[in-house]
Amino acid sequence: MTRKSIIELIGIEKRYHSFQALADLNLTLQEGEFFSLLGPSGCGKTTALRIIAGFQEPTAGIVRIAGQDMQAVPANRRPTNMVFQSYAIFPHLNVGDNVGFGLSRSGLSRQGRKARIKEALEMVALDGFQDRHADALSGGQRQRVALARALVMQPKVLLLDEPLSALDKKLRETMQFELRRLQQSIGITFVMVTHDQYEAMTMSDRIGVMFDGRLTQVDTPSKLYAFPANREVAAFIGGMNFLPAELVGERAGRLEVVVAGLGRLDIVRNPGVARHDKDLLVGLRPEQLHITREDPAGYEVRVQGTVTDAAFYGETVHYHVEIAGAPEPVVVSVPNHFHTVDYTRGDKVWLGAQGASVIDLGARTDN
Amino acid sequence: MTGRSRLLPGLRAYTLLYLVFLYLPVLLIPLFSFNDGTVVAFPISGLTLKWYGQLASEDALLRSLGNSFIVAGATAVLSTALGLFAARAYVRNKFRGKQWSEGLVMLPLVTPVIIVASAMLTLFMLIGLRPSLATVILGHTFLTLPFAVAILKSAFEEFDPSLEEAAYDLGETVLGTFRRVTLPIVAPGIVASLLVTFTVSFDEFVLAFFLSGDRPTLPVYIWSQIRFPAKLPNTLALGSLLLGFSVLLLILAEYFRRKTRRGAADAKR
Repeated sequence: MTRKSIIELIGIEKRYHSFQALADLNLTLQEGEFFSLLGPSGCGKTTALRIIAGFQEPTAGIVRIAGQDMQAVPANRRPTNMVFQSYAIFPHLNVGDNVGFGLSRSGLSRQGRKARIKEALEMVALDGFQDRHADALSGGQRQRVALARALVMQPKVLLLDEPLSALDKKLRETMQFELRRLQQSIGITFVMVTHDQYEAMTMSDRIGVMFDGRLTQVDTPSKLYAFPANREVAAFIGGMNFLPAELVGERAGRLEVVVAGLGRLDIVRNPGVARHDKDLLVGLRPEQLHITREDPAGYEVRVQGTVTDAAFYGETVHYHVEIAGAPEPVVVSVPNHFHTVDYTRGDKVWLGAQGASVIDLGARTDN
Repeated sequence: MTGRSRLLPGLRAYTLLYLVFLYLPVLLIPLFSFNDGTVVAFPISGLTLKWYGQLASEDALLRSLGNSFIVAGATAVLSTALGLFAARAYVRNKFRGKQWSEGLVMLPLVTPVIIVASAMLTLFMLIGLRPSLATVILGHTFLTLPFAVAILKSAFEEFDPSLEEAAYDLGETVLGTFRRVTLPIVAPGIVASLLVTFTVSFDEFVLAFFLSGDRPTLPVYIWSQIRFPAKLPNTLALGSLLLGFSVLLLILAEYFRRKTRRGAADAKR
């Protein structure tokens, strides 16, 4: 299945005096995909979004939307529309006039505009709110109005700047599914900026992870989780135990490694890492470790250790287990099946893991 | 009754005395404007409205009133228009010399007016501008600009910049964005600025005295009349009317200023 590209960013750079906000950003987005730019605050993700929207000009590089170079095209003539973090609902207008704001230059008749406004409000389940004043809306409603106001323009790309960060947790979870459903039903490209890994994981087709103005990795959520390109990405998305390892052999996409504390293992070579070396770094997700009192049968890795800490998180319980040879205690996450914390500090336990769970993170010196 | 007033029992009396001292002289003006006699002294000999009645037939007074309306109106529009762009730039943009520029704009608040007035008169004479209502308008614009900038800055500080970006993003032009979004949202601030600058200009004496030439504004006219004891009751009646008018304008201005804050707070929510 080949899809047409809708946005191409080629060698985008953004500098403010000596500060490099974006460095050599290259990215191609497909028509109809839900793409997220994920990263900590200050990583340049919002700058990238504002460059696509046309609010900021790149210091160098090319932005193409639907094949057209956007250098001479200002924000008000780009086929993109934005949902702002603050929603930017016009306070002096009612819902209908907010949504219809951009249609005044469309050449549509009054009736035509009304129909488009109604259609857009139906998409966000707010039809009938046309006469409601902007200051009589709840946070969730404001966000829907902002969505409708952008979608009524029938943009080729919808840009969303931290669209859920102003909502409370419950509403945020509901809106995650609603946004995803909306994107799938209208089929246009959504580009969302977020610092919330769960938000990005649940909604996106692909995620671009950014650190310090650089796009570090672009992948599907499951690929990002299973094959992070380096320690930074691995630590930003989900929990991760990092262990030093020694590379002893390599064949046909697999690596033979000796992992500190875990021993000799045959693991998958991660194609996304920059470089391999004799000294490797590997990772192991806390939820993929098994913890028991007895020697666990059927695991490729079976090691003994001592519990140094237990922490109750509600849906999971975390144990910190010290094992011989590992530089620091390994974190094990266990689902809270029976409301019990089964091990306490000082307990002797066994840990089990499969080689498939051990993630190759490339040369240790690069991390 | 709060605990604080019990702690400092003298505070209440002090505040009361302070207010009496501040406003009693002002209240004497309307009081004596109803006095039947021409001498400003107690006891009041009788109540009358005749001084107010006589005002309507004073041609020179009416002309000076007209001059004041022209000057204050033009000043309010000029300094609010200038203040609007300055305030937006100060709040939204970062640029070299911003603090210096802001300091310079605010300077008339602390400069002795008499110095400014003599300097301006000298300057206008040097460049061949005869004293006229136009020169008063220029002087008053300079004097009232700090008020306009201060009021409008607070209007812009409460204003989410993404509102303008949103309008632009929705296809509006830069000018259209200003007209359809910026202007309506800061409108209460603009009205407040117009009212305050109007009032300041309307009451201003020193600059008007130096720069008005042979067309006096109302305060200059009042000053010229105070020398004639017979005209004093008329002046008091006029002063009372002006007092009421100014207070009304300032109350209106404050109402609009607060309205901007409320509107902006709603927009942020």
